[in-house]
Amino acid sequence: MKPENIELADKDETLFRPIYHTGTGFYVTLGILGLILLWALYMYVMQVRFGLGMTGMNQPVTWGFYIVNFVFFIGISHAGTLISAILRLSKAEWRRPITRMAEVITAIVLAIGGLHPILDLGRPDRMMNLLEAGRLQSPLLWDVTSITAYFTASTVYLYLPMIPDIARIRDRGGKFKWLYAFMAWGWQGTEKQKRVLNRAINILMVMVIPIAISVHTVISYIFSMTLQPGWHSTIFGPYFVVGAIFSGIAALLIVMIAFRKVYHFENYLKEIHFQYLSTLLLIMSLIWSYFTFSEYLTGVFGAEPHEMHIILYKFTGPFAFYFWGMILCNFLVPVIIISFKKLRTITGIFIASVAVVIGMWLERFIIVVPSLANPRLDVPIGIYVPTVLEWALFAGGLAVFVMGFMIFSKFFPLISVWEIEEGRTHGRKEVENRIESYLPGSS
Amino acid sequence: MEIKRREFLRLFGGLSGSFLFVGCGLDDVLDIPQSMIEQARRGPGIETWQNTICGLCPAGCGTRVRLIDDIPVSVKGNPVYPINRGGMCPLGLNALHSLYHPDRLKGPVQRKGTPDHATWESISWENALSQIAERLVELRVAGKPHQVAFLGHEENGLLKQHFARFMQAYGSPNYFQFAPSQNTVTPYSLLQGHLTLPAYDFLNARLIVSFGSNFLEEGSSPVYYTKVYSHHEEQQTRYVQIESRHSLTASNADQWIPIRPGTYGALALGLSYVLIREELYDREFVRSKTFGFEDRVDSSGVRHVGFKNMVLGNYYPERVEELTGVPSPVILQLGRELGNAHPALVVGDQGAIDNTNGTFSTMAIHSLNALLGNFEREGGIFFVDDPPFSRFEPVQSDVVARDGLKQSPIGISEGDVYPFTRFSIEAFTKNVLSETPYPLSVLFIRGGNPLFESLNRSKLAEALKKIPLVVSFDSILSETSEFAHLILPEHHFMERWDAISAVDSIPFAHVGIQHPVVQPFHDTKQVGDVLIGLAQQVGGVVGKAFPFSNYEEELKFAMEGVYKSGTGAIAAGGAGSLWIQYLQQRGWQIGRYSSFDEFWDRLVGQGGWWNPIRKRKNWDVVFKTPSKKFEFFSQTLKKALDNLTNQSGGESGTAQNYERVLNRLNISARGDTVFLPHHEPIPHEPDMLFHLVTFRVLPVRDGQGAALPMMQELFGHSANRHWESWAEIHPETAAINNISDGDWVLISSVVGSLRLRAKITEGIMPSVVAIPFGLGHTSLGRYAKGHGVNPNTIMRNLYDQLNGKPALQATKVKIARAT
Amino acid sequence: MPKWAMVIDLDKCTGCDACAVACKMENNVPIADPAEAQSGRAMFWMDMMTTTEGAFPNTVTKRVPKPCFHCDDPPCTLVCPVGATYRNPEGLVAQIYHRCIGCRYCMAACPFTAKVYNWYDPKWIDGAEVGNPDVSRRMVGVVEKCSFCSHRLMSVKETAHREDRPIMDGEYVPACAESCPAEAIVFGDIENEESRVYRLSRSYRVMRYGEDLGVKPKVYYLSRRTET
Ligand SMILES: Nc1nc2c(c(=O)[nH]1)N[C@H]1C(S)=C(S)[C@@H](COP(=O)(O)OP(=O)(O)OC[C@H]3O[C@@H](n4cnc5c(=O)[nH]c(N)nc54)[C@H](O)[C@@H]3O)O[C@H]1N2
Ligand SMILES: Nc1nc2c(c(=O)[nH]1)N[C@H]1C(S)=C(S)[C@@H](COP(=O)(O)OP(=O)(O)OC[C@H]3O[C@@H](n4cnc5c(=O)[nH]c(N)nc54)[C@H](O)[C@@H]3O)O[C@H]1N2
Ligand code: SF4
Ligand code: SF4
Ligand code: SF4
Ligand code: SF4
Ligand code: SF4
Ligand SMILES: [Mo]
Repeated sequence: MKPENIELADKDETLFRPIYHTGTGFYVTLGILGLILLWALYMYVMQVRFGLGMTGMNQPVTWGFYIVNFVFFIGISHAGTLISAILRLSKAEWRRPITRMAEVITAIVLAIGGLHPILDLGRPDRMMNLLEAGRLQSPLLWDVTSITAYFTASTVYLYLPMIPDIARIRDRGGKFKWLYAFMAWGWQGTEKQKRVLNRAINILMVMVIPIAISVHTVISYIFSMTLQPGWHSTIFGPYFVVGAIFSGIAALLIVMIAFRKVYHFENYLKEIHFQYLSTLLLIMSLIWSYFTFSEYLTGVFGAEPHEMHIILYKFTGPFAFYFWGMILCNFLVPVIIISFKKLRTITGIFIASVAVVIGMWLERFIIVVPSLANPRLDVPIGIYVPTVLEWALFAGGLAVFVMGFMIFSKFFPLISVWEIEEGRTHGRKEVENRIESYLPGSS
Repeated sequence: MEIKRREFLRLFGGLSGSFLFVGCGLDDVLDIPQSMIEQARRGPGIETWQNTICGLCPAGCGTRVRLIDDIPVSVKGNPVYPINRGGMCPLGLNALHSLYHPDRLKGPVQRKGTPDHATWESISWENALSQIAERLVELRVAGKPHQVAFLGHEENGLLKQHFARFMQAYGSPNYFQFAPSQNTVTPYSLLQGHLTLPAYDFLNARLIVSFGSNFLEEGSSPVYYTKVYSHHEEQQTRYVQIESRHSLTASNADQWIPIRPGTYGALALGLSYVLIREELYDREFVRSKTFGFEDRVDSSGVRHVGFKNMVLGNYYPERVEELTGVPSPVILQLGRELGNAHPALVVGDQGAIDNTNGTFSTMAIHSLNALLGNFEREGGIFFVDDPPFSRFEPVQSDVVARDGLKQSPIGISEGDVYPFTRFSIEAFTKNVLSETPYPLSVLFIRGGNPLFESLNRSKLAEALKKIPLVVSFDSILSETSEFAHLILPEHHFMERWDAISAVDSIPFAHVGIQHPVVQPFHDTKQVGDVLIGLAQQVGGVVGKAFPFSNYEEELKFAMEGVYKSGTGAIAAGGAGSLWIQYLQQRGWQIGRYSSFDEFWDRLVGQGGWWNPIRKRKNWDVVFKTPSKKFEFFSQTLKKALDNLTNQSGGESGTAQNYERVLNRLNISARGDTVFLPHHEPIPHEPDMLFHLVTFRVLPVRDGQGAALPMMQELFGHSANRHWESWAEIHPETAAINNISDGDWVLISSVVGSLRLRAKITEGIMPSVVAIPFGLGHTSLGRYAKGHGVNPNTIMRNLYDQLNGKPALQATKVKIARAT
Repeated sequence: MPKWAMVIDLDKCTGCDACAVACKMENNVPIADPAEAQSGRAMFWMDMMTTTEGAFPNTVTKRVPKPCFHCDDPPCTLVCPVGATYRNPEGLVAQIYHRCIGCRYCMAACPFTAKVYNWYDPKWIDGAEVGNPDVSRRMVGVVEKCSFCSHRLMSVKETAHREDRPIMDGEYVPACAESCPAEAIVFGDIENEESRVYRLSRSYRVMRYGEDLGVKPKVYYLSRRTET
């Protein structure tokens, strides 16, 4: 067993390298991010002390950045578990170097996103009321439930496929041996263990897909369950899910490109991965655009006064810049870049992905704020200008995301080693067999 | 904590723009005596209600104060008090915050240093009063009692009499009221001979045409008129509002007719034209009860043109349209409506009178009432009697007083400036500065805030600085009282005794009793008591004029007369209008009490007395003019101008002098037209395109409400502006000047400019800019200071031609976008 | 069980704002300081909606006093995660300040912008019981709104109970109705066919906001003007 292991270890040493070698750049980056985080924490403490008045929210714009970011981050989290589960389920061989990163995104971003409604509470000290007096009829409670479920499922789903890799690190020795020993759960790589692990992964992967879809559907329900114009829409569920996957893929691409560069994963993350994923991004962009188009077309066509008022406000009001920015980032940029072979380079894809992430954030904003700013009755139109506090907490959220990834990379391989290995040993044969079975003439 | 938060935001850049440090947290909305706080904590929680009269404006609404353990916790309207019947205005409902205001003076203070660098030192009442009394005695000894002036405000009834009595006994002709009603009466006195404002029977009128009278918001009793207005559905009353701005009254009226400022009189004459031409006027009334309608030849054989021909010759609809901007079809239609709806009432106020031609305009407006025969009848106009207070012993005056009283009053101009003024702040200022006819030594100022309102602020300030002793009774240091040497703070209205009666244009006699519902919080006094104290210290005839130990006793004495008259009734539920009609038809009285004490107790308990029954008056009482008729041709005016001409006499031909007098008064009309209601052009400023118009809103009214944070918050709620002024601009005007809603604009007159935010609205004439009055304080406590702008500061020094009333709509301005 | 409702006669109402102040004073509603008020955080349980329509000179200014409509199917209570706002059996939509977690979901869900929020700790003088002692003070981070002056209902109920009789029409009057100088606000039990509110709610002039939303507001407006 040993020799084989060593051979393999040698072969995939790049994947383990970040765990053992840390440059100064890492610490500097971490330090800066840490400072941002501290700033955000300080700001939050102030908010708790003085009240939400420190934000730019007011009446009637009673929700601002926190809710926007909540929807945004939870959307990003769909990168992971959902995509990885779909790829796994569809036995897409090229998934192997991608799934781990995708799942990590989910776990980290979900934690960040899930925290946002708490940031938004005027009385975080009374959070326990949710348990003591929780009303299941409230969409907010559906959220609490589904996000908790999703978080649990996706951490487990992240963890289980890591076990063989953790065992390997344990076996290689070095620092934190106890941790790896504990987390490896006595993995020896026996056939039985492998069988059990595979089954567990298979069950989870089937389970996680509906949960993931439910999460974003339920988030859309927060809005669509109200009677507010611009929110009260039946397609919000799928629209949000599509948007989530869309932004998730973009985030995944960004992370892949970033770590490919930083940790020299060129050997693992090849052109082909980006080609495939970007094609997926293109498809999602088109689907998203289709939903957006439907959403606005029905509104404009029906021209119900309140609805129309808000649509026009989005098109031409003070947030028109956000709206058209969203169209640019979510539709024009990705479609143009990805459709033209010449532009579809890694850099091109990176640009498209960044655009999509920004665009999706704008989309969340354009959903939340304009509807609130334009109340049904004749009260003054709202204004909303986020304060430094809200920007700080936004920056803090992003910092936690990057830090989370960086720290994760120092403990665990970002690419699933054993799955790569499995691909090498079984994958090829399996694919051959599979293809054989598709072809006409075979039994 | 508030401050910490703001500081924090500043340090860490709460940059949302709306977060800039303003320096006015609301930490101390209330200033409650520590003893009360203790009492509130310990107390058994016993609830009581006390009735009194709201003292935040002269409208005198009855109010009920709720006390828990003798601590006032809320106020509401007194449902049985006849003026307001339970209704209140926003300011009155906020009265507790004025009681608990943290900037109320805690006791008498004395200024050290100049007004600009003042420090205020506490001083005892004894010390302050003896200082003043010493001065008063000195002046009397020197034979100069006339060098003392008392500038009151809106006091009416007993308190007015009290002040007048003090000044009379002391020997000074200089008791004035710095209040618009003083001079607003001029047109009525010229036409009808009355020195009070008429009351209107809105309730029984079918059509009410208001020329600039914003009676729902700026009238003498907005609550009373709101109550009356609220019956317009059942009563089938139609309201037409003629005004440059779509005011609160305009927006509640059935029709709004926008009009160019300063042309209200012309429109009224245009309507007269329609009534006369189409013979829709009350011919019988006009024939028998008016003077100067038809052309006539006087005793000396001179032919005089009558109102009829003057109107027919000059005010045909096309010309009126040109003057006023009101389309002639509208004039025709409204004229016919007036002639056909019976009874149709015409009122004129604010917009119509606040211009250089205010008196002539109001004469023209009131003439419509004569054409319609609106006197002494249902749905018409009448003058209300004062309540039957006890008669006071006449003041016994000594030589000093008699000589003093012979001096000419310092608040009234000499010669041919403002011949009809009862008090002109402009004349007062000039006279004090030039020491004509004599210098002023002591000035008492009670109520009002002349410096804040005046159009000639810097000169008035100089005048105040010139007076060696200025005494104010303000409760909160204000723009005016900053110039006082001594401030003797008055009780809050919830802490004092007083009677509120004869509120302008309330159509029945009434007395409301203010009584202390709470022990005085601070070391303050009722101003009536202060005067009694001073009178006694001065002694002699002055002391004898007040045979009362305090003002409460005087009040009780006065009310004894009301009791003895046997008329009227104590405000009580159940005295509905049917019941009153029933009694009236039988000539009965309402209300019987076994003794004065019973009367008094019930009076104080219920809040007041009123007499809804009004006897028909004889025509010679209705018209106190030389002809005992309604005078289209005002003989009083003629006589006054003749006198002026004669005074400036000389041999050199009267015609020339007469011409000079008319020029001095800026009267452009000539011949008989001068004495007839007519339109006088207002000052023309070719390079200024817009008329500046101001208005007062309910929460802040004439500026006093600005001291209260809740009223500041509400001030512009309808314009989405809080604690801030705004300028109303028509969309066309805005478009030409590239201004959008909420932009900063610069409104400039020849006097100065103001920077404020634009509110673009279809509710204003394109040639007009409107700014609310009441904000822009530089004093008046922490909440008033530094918020908004005061439009009066950019107004030109213009006054009514005849009575010197400030012409608040005569200034023209230009508009520009500000950065 | 009575069902409390309000009728506001816009043909009588002049838009004087007395109701707004009466309500603030009665219910200890905090005052916003200048910057706060100007940034849209002024708190009015009884708000005033002012709109100017029509081109000059045919200008129409509508002033509509707006309390919470106490919807019979309130969308605001539906979404509250902790039941801090609820509809009681008498139809009052109430707030439980001590349970509210300040998520402002109910504010977002109310189609009529009837709720306000305590962005900061309201400023009152420590311990001074001045202000209405019958109404509890709110704290930072909770939502509040017009309660139909429910504290007054309690005392009216007590009196009626003591005297062993039903509550009479016009006995339970909220502060806004009480101080309205135009007597434009009428309050009472809409289930009682003898009540003024019941009669007025049948008027041909009656109009309710959000009728199309099916939330069944219990504030009825009367107006001769067709569209409001
Ligand atoms: N542009 C424009 N300007 C106007 C008007 C307008 O319509 N348009 N209106 C004019 C009119 S009608 C008026 S009356 C003026 C008045 O305007 P202001 O003089 O500003 O108003 P007041 O409320 O009469 O007086 C305010 C002062 O009286 C004090 N005060 C209140 N109660 C008492 C008390 O009991 N005792 C004492 N000693 N002081 C007390 C207040 O603290 C404050 O110092 O404004 C005039 N200015
Ligand atoms: N809602 C509401 N209710 C009010 C008021 C309010 O502002 N709002 N104001 C209350 C008051 S204070 C009044 S007076 C009545 C309104 O009584 P109205 O008679 O309807 O007031 P206006 O005629 O508009 O006031 C015109 C102006 O006369 C001016 N004036 C200034 N100086 C002098 C002077 O030296 N002599 C004379 N004679 N006049 C001078 C004042 O500046 C005032 O602005 O209603 C009272 N009720
Ligand atoms: S109108 Fe308002 S301020 Fe004036 S007395 Fe009445 S309630 Fe008081
Ligand atoms: S108090 Fe009455 S009249 Fe005034 S705004 Fe309110 S409802 Fe209208
Ligand atoms: S008006 Fe708004 S806050 Fe009031 S009950 Fe209806 S939905 Fe709830
Ligand atoms: S803000 Fe309070 S009352 Fe409103 S939904 Fe949230 S917890 Fe419920
Ligand atoms: S019913 Fe009571 S709480 Fe509601 S608006 Fe009126 S006064 Fe305010
Ligand atoms: Mo006044």
